[in-house]
Amino acid sequence: MNDDVVTLAEGSGGREMHELIRSYGFSYRGKWKNYDTDAASFDLDMSRSLVFTTDSFIVDPIFFPGGDIGHLAFCGTINDLAVLGAQPIGVSLGIVLEEGFPKKDLKKIISTIKRLSGKTKIPVVTGDTKVMQKGTIDKIVINSAGVGLVKKKEMLIKKINPGDKIIISGGLGEHAVALLSKRFQYKTTIVSDSKPIFEEIRSVLPLIKVAKDPTRGGLASSLHEVAQRYKVGMVLDEERIPVKPGVKKVSELLGVNVYELACEGRFVCVASEKNASRVEKKLQDFNSDAAICGRITKGSHIIIQSILGTRILPMPSGRIVPRIC
Amino acid sequence: MNEKELLKNHITHINRYASEIKREVTLMEICGGHTNVIIRYGIRDILPENIRLISGPGCPVCVTTQHDIDCIVECARHGIPIATYGDMLRVPGNKMSLDEIRGKTGMVFEVYSASEVVELQKKYPDIVFFGIGFETTAPMTAFLLDKKICVYSAHKLIPPALKMLASGDLKVDGFINPGHVSTIIGIQPYTKIRIPQVIAGFSAEQILRSIRILLELIRDKKPIVVNGYPEVVRQQGNKNARLLLKKYFTVVDSEWRGLGVIAKSGLEVKNATLNAKHKYYDTIKNVLPSKKTPCRCGDILRGLIEPTECPLYKKQCTPKNPQGACMVSAEGSCAIYYRYGK
Repeated sequence: MNDDVVTLAEGSGGREMHELIRSYGFSYRGKWKNYDTDAASFDLDMSRSLVFTTDSFIVDPIFFPGGDIGHLAFCGTINDLAVLGAQPIGVSLGIVLEEGFPKKDLKKIISTIKRLSGKTKIPVVTGDTKVMQKGTIDKIVINSAGVGLVKKKEMLIKKINPGDKIIISGGLGEHAVALLSKRFQYKTTIVSDSKPIFEEIRSVLPLIKVAKDPTRGGLASSLHEVAQRYKVGMVLDEERIPVKPGVKKVSELLGVNVYELACEGRFVCVASEKNASRVEKKLQDFNSDAAICGRITKGSHIIIQSILGTRILPMPSGRIVPRIC
Repeated sequence: MNEKELLKNHITHINRYASEIKREVTLMEICGGHTNVIIRYGIRDILPENIRLISGPGCPVCVTTQHDIDCIVECARHGIPIATYGDMLRVPGNKMSLDEIRGKTGMVFEVYSASEVVELQKKYPDIVFFGIGFETTAPMTAFLLDKKICVYSAHKLIPPALKMLASGDLKVDGFINPGHVSTIIGIQPYTKIRIPQVIAGFSAEQILRSIRILLELIRDKKPIVVNGYPEVVRQQGNKNARLLLKKYFTVVDSEWRGLGVIAKSGLEVKNATLNAKHKYYDTIKNVLPSKKTPCRCGDILRGLIEPTECPLYKKQCTPKNPQGACMVSAEGSCAIYYRYGK
C-alpha cells in the first residue's frame, strides 16, 4: 500500500489512527501532562489541575435519530474532560462551512448547542467560523475545545490491578446503529446515545479508577487503549455486555462488529472488586443497562468468554464497512 | 428457550449426529459474512473432530478478477468518476488501488448503498458504478441502470458456483448457503444441486442451527435444501428484484478469481450505452491480463487450503500490505483469520 498519503482508515479510531498519531512525535510538553488520553492536564496548585481537550466532528448524515452534529460536538468535547474526572467549565466552537450550506440547518445545529449549554450550565466562551468554497469540504466540520477542573486526587488515572472490575454505563453501539439505519433507511427504534456523561461520572467518581468514552473504534478500541496504558489484560463476559436487541440485529444484518461501533454518551470504567457493585448500582440509576461485564487480568490479551468458549477481541483495524454479500 | 439454552441444545445435537455419522464430514460455508461469525466465535474449534468446516468463494470482493479491478482502476486513472462499495477500493490493482487514486484526485467515491450513487450523479453526470457482489447487491445496480447510470458490472451468481464446487475435486458433504442472497433467489435455484444445504442467518446461533440441520440431513442421506433463516428468507425469494435483474442484465459466462470461468455465472449490462465496458472500451482495451503471483487466494476460495497455508500469509501479506483480495476484504478469509489472531 502507498504510505505517502493519509487514508480514511487512519481516522477511524483503530490501530492505524493510533500509529499515525504516535508518528507525530510531539515530545515537548512544558508543564503539561498527557496520560495517553484524549485530554491533557496542567497543575494549577497543589490540589487542582486544569484539563484541556480538543476534538473535530464530521458525521454523515448531519441530522440523525437522537441528535445532530452540534449535539455530538458539544457532548463529545465535555465527555473527553469528564472521563478524566474533570468538571467542564467552558468550550470553544470552531465551525467550517461549505458555501451553500442551508442557513436553517446551521440555525438548528446552533440551537442544539445552545440548548445543551443552558441545560448543562457549560458556556460556549469563544469560537470561529469559516466558509469554504463549494465542493472543497463536505457540508460542515466542527472543532471544539474544552477546559475543565479536577481535584488531583480525583483524577481518573489511578493504577488498575488484576481482579478489578470493568463496568459499562449503558448499551453499546446505539449511536452508530442510529446513523447506519438512517443511511440505509432502515426502520428502527434505536436512537443515538449522544449525551453528556459528566453527571454519571461524578456520581461514581470516588469509586472508580479509570474511565474512557468508547467513541470511534467503540468498546474494542477503548479497552485496548486502557490495556496498553496500564499493561494489563482483560476478560469480558459476553452475556453481561449490554447490547440492545435492535442494535444486535442491525449489526448482524450489516455484518459489523458491535464492539467496534461508536457510542457518544457511554463510558467504560474500572473499579476495585469491592466498589464495583456500588458503581453498577449508581450507574443503573441513570441507565438500567449499565453492567459489570468483565475483569482486569495479568497479561496483555483482551478475551471474550461466551458459551461457545473464549475468543480474542482484536483492536479494530481499517474502516467499518457493511457487508455486501 | 433463551439463547444460551438454544446454543447448548444445538451443540448437544451436533455432537450426537457427528457420532452417528461415524465418518469424516466436510461442510462449506459459502458466505464471507458466515466465515466472519464462524472465526469470531471459534465455531470450528467446538465442532466434533470428524466435522470439517471450510470456507468457500462467497466474498464478493475476493472473487472479482484482477482484470476487472485493473480495468476500473484504468478508468479512474483517466479521470472518470467511479463509485463502489468499501473494501473494493483497497484491492491492489496492477498499478495502484482505487483508494490511492481517490487520495490523489478525489474522484473515487465509497458508497454504503447504491442509492447514494443517484445523489453523486447530480454532481458527476459521468459517474460509473463498479457493481460487485452476488444476487444481493445486483438488484440495486439494476435500479441504477433504471436511473440511466453507467455501470461496470462484475456481478456474479451463487448457484452456478455451488454447482461447480459440488462437482469439483473437493468433496463437500453439505453447504451452508448465504442468507442474504437467498432473500432474492429463494430456495428453488439450490434444489438442482443434489447435496444437503441449509440457508443460514448471521448470528452464532443461526450458524450452529444450520450445522445441526446439515448433519441431520447427512445422517439421514437427504440431499435437500432447508430454509434455516425463515425470519428473513421467503420460499419464493423476491420476485420484483429478479424481474429487475432480468430487465437490465444478461446472464453470461464469467471468470471468478481462483475458480476460473464458470458457465452462466455472471451478469452483464444489457444496454451498451450504460455498459462501461463498451462506453470506455478505448480506455480499457490495453489492460493486460493479470500477472501470476504466489498469492494463493484462488485455492483459499476453493476451500483447498486455509489462509495459514499460503506462503505469503502474515509475512509479505498483512491487512496493511495486502497482496490479494482475501486479505483486503473484511469478508475475506485471510483478513478474518488475521483479525482473530489465527
